[in-house]
This record gives sequence, structure tokens and C-alpha cells, in this order.
Amino acid sequence: MIIEHIDAQLPGTVTDRHDFRGDQTIVVAKGNLLALVDLLYREGFQLLVDITAVDWPERQQRFDVVYHWLNLASQERLRVKVPVADGETVPTLTGHFKTADWFEREVFDLFGIRFDGHPNMKRLLTWDDFPGHALRKDFPLDGGDPFCMEGCTAPYNNGERARG
Amino acid sequence: MAHPASPFLPVLILLLVAAVTAIAILVLSGKVLPLLKPNNPQVAKLRPYECGVPPLQEGARHKYSVKFYLTAMLFILFDVEAAFLLPWAVNFKHALWTFGAMLSFMATLLVGFIYAWGKGAFEWER
Amino acid sequence: MAEMNINDAVVTTRLDAVVNWGRKNSLWPLPFGTACCAIEFMSMMASKYDMSRFGAEAMRFSPRQSDMMLILGTVTNKMAPVVRTIYAQMAEPKWVISVGVCASSGGMYRTYATLQGVDRVIPVDVYVPGCPPRPESMIYGVMKLQEKIEKESLSMRKDHIARFYESLARQDALQAEKGLTGQQTIREMLMDAAERGAGTIF
Repeated sequence: MIIEHIDAQLPGTVTDRHDFRGDQTIVVAKGNLLALVDLLYREGFQLLVDITAVDWPERQQRFDVVYHWLNLASQERLRVKVPVADGETVPTLTGHFKTADWFEREVFDLFGIRFDGHPNMKRLLTWDDFPGHALRKDFPLDGGDPFCMEGCTAPYNNGERARG
Repeated sequence: MAHPASPFLPVLILLLVAAVTAIAILVLSGKVLPLLKPNNPQVAKLRPYECGVPPLQEGARHKYSVKFYLTAMLFILFDVEAAFLLPWAVNFKHALWTFGAMLSFMATLLVGFIYAWGKGAFEWER
Repeated sequence: MAEMNINDAVVTTRLDAVVNWGRKNSLWPLPFGTACCAIEFMSMMASKYDMSRFGAEAMRFSPRQSDMMLILGTVTNKMAPVVRTIYAQMAEPKWVISVGVCASSGGMYRTYATLQGVDRVIPVDVYVPGCPPRPESMIYGVMKLQEKIEKESLSMRKDHIARFYESLARQDALQAEKGLTGQQTIREMLMDAAERGAGTIF
């Protein structure tokens, strides 16, 4: 029912939707994200559960930044996906949700998606000069393990090493 | 035939045992132990321990609050007063004027105590 | 991995026997607990499995006060320089037991984040496999270390420790020269080691 609200108040925002076994998911363009977040906050979706991303390398807009919200009053959950291309930035939600701070840092660390207006856009889980972004599909699954004996994936960056 | 200094024989034995122990410890730790222990001084081993991460600031020894010194000094003064109190309490039970003498002694120190109290020497959080 | 060569027929004297007896029966552990194996370690130190009958009850979380480091759990690449620094700050004689498969070889985590075995960055004496190993297995590992200590000699050189300190000096130099973080320096050293065919960076 939140999706009907969204359609009513922000028509044309929702470009796609799925409902799989009770999971409501909508896809919006990144330009509409902040307006949508304002609406969701007013409607009671005030717990930002997670921000993550998915890499679809064969698509033109290769990443999907995925947000999950929970409405504590009605126990309704909503998933919002925002497709972005490599190199594009997404507006930050740290103004509304303090928890978005580290979630967005994690997404930057693991996918390389930057967030406009983020107070501290640094890596979170890997070390500061980690070469590359670990959860992209072209990053080797074993992390470029130098002692790999067999079944190795292709070396990241065609074997060129990060030189400081 | 007892030697006049014989009550002090245990003292002599104690002195010898202490001297032998001290010399033994010095010799063992100075000469014998270096043969047994591994000796590998390394620069990395001697760095200050900070849970394995590089030290966050150089040298944490500068700002030292004066309240520790103050507490120690006050402790010494009042502890010495208490030490004076003890032999007086044990020995001078026969006359009443000794009570007055001790009261005047404590009054002197009480003046100092009230002064320290007024000056805030007993306030830890300042 | 070259360590002390028992096959070189090290002659142990009575003095060695006494010293080794003292050392093996008073191994104070430094539990470097990062993950689930640390829970099994807690269980081992508790009364049912009881490590204190081996003289190892006094676990000290400071490298200065312990002589046996137990790597208990997954070591990530981000944690690798910390393990090296703490091992460096331990006083000799020192030994390392790598407990669990994550510490021994990376375990089930063959990823960008996990160090594929702590023996790539520090010398290890005994490996205890298991995920997690039962407390009895960990005690068996300590007993194996005690057997190893029995065979040591005061006149024996411990090359692996010397090479470790050299590698630490190289790491510091490389880090200063290139301005990298400790973690990236260790990754670079690992790749250099892989190029020349060594299994470790020391």
C-alpha cells in the first residue's frame, strides 16, 4: 500500500516494481531518490535497515544501489533499487538517517559508488589503499591470491600491481 | 661458658644468609642466566606496546596532574601524625595531662587540615 | 618452511633438559583470539578440559608477559600487520600455535579479505586443524609443542625468528619508501614472495 501512496504523491517515480512472496520492491531513478525518501519518512518508514549494492556487469547502468526500509508502526518493509552507472554518484541519506553513514562507506569500499554530500567518504572494511573494489564482478574471487595453485581466476587489473 | 654476645648469634646467621642470598642472586642473574637465556634485542621488540597498531601519539608521558603529588603529601603528613598517636596511646595511660598534650598536638595538625580542606586540596575532580 | 632442523641431530645436554623442562611446563599463552576458535580456547581453559594442568593457566594478553602465542581464529589481511607487530614484541623464547583451519590456511575463506594462513607472515610451530578444533585437539597441540620444546637446545640458532625480524625491517623500509599502509605493504611483500617462489614473506 505504500507503493500506491508513492504513485499518488510522486507519479512517475516508480519505474518498476516486483512483489515476490510478500517482499515489495520498487525501482526508482536516482534523481527521484531524495523526494522518495522524504515521502517514506513521513509515511513512517523511519528505520533504514540496510544500504547495499549489486553489480550487473553486462548492463549499461551496472550497479543497483539497494535500500531497505522498515515501517515500525505497520511492520511493512520496502526495498528500493536505484540503478547507477560506473562513475556516477548517488545523493547521500546521512541527513535523514545517521546509519546511512557507514552503510554508504561500505558500498563505496566494496563497489566504488560515491555518495554526494557524505561527511566521510572513506573505505570502511578494507584498508585505505586497497587496490580496487572487492565485490565487483570483475574482482577475482580469491582476491588475487599470489600463491594460487589451480583454479585461479584471472589476475585483477591484468596483473598490474598497485604501486602506492 | 656463654659468649657475651651469644644472644646475637641469630642476627649473625641472618646477616650471613642475607649476604649469601644477595650475592647468589647477583651472580646467578649476572653471570649464569645470560648463558641460559636467549638474547635477541631488536628494535621492533622494544617499541611501546599499543595493541599491535602504530602508536597514535608520540609519548604519553607529558601532562601529569599535580593532584597525585598533593594526595601523597597529605597522606604522609597525616600518616606520620597517626604514627605518633600510636605509641602515645599505648604508653601514656597514667596521667590526664598527657591527654591534653596530645590534643594540642592534634589541634596544630587540625589547623592544617582545615586549611587544606578550605583550599580544596581534598577535591579530586577539579 | 625452514625452521629448526631436528634432523641435524642437535645434541641436548642435561642443562638443556632442565631448561626445556622448565619452559615446556610453564608455557604462558597469549590468546590472539579473533573468532570461533577463541571460544573453544575459553572452553579449554575452563575446568572441564583444563589447560592449567600443563602450567598454562596464566594467559597474558600482553606479548611482553607471555611466551606462546595462540592464533585463534581467522586473521584478515587488515589484521596481518598487527599480528606481526605483536609477535615481534614478544620476548624470546617464543612459540606460535596456529589453532583452527582459518589461522593455518585461511580455512573456508578463500577471499580478498582473509590471510591464507598466518604462517605467511609469522613463523608457526604447531598447526592444530579443526573448525573449530575440540579442546582435546588444542591440548594435543600444546602437548606436541611441549615435545618440540624438549628437543630444543640452548646452542641451537632459531633462524626463523631472525628472518622474521629481517622481514619486519624490510616491511618498515618498504612502507616508508612507498608511503603505503601496513596492510598494502604486506600484500606487496606477499606478491614479491610469490614471484620468487617462497611460501612466506620472511
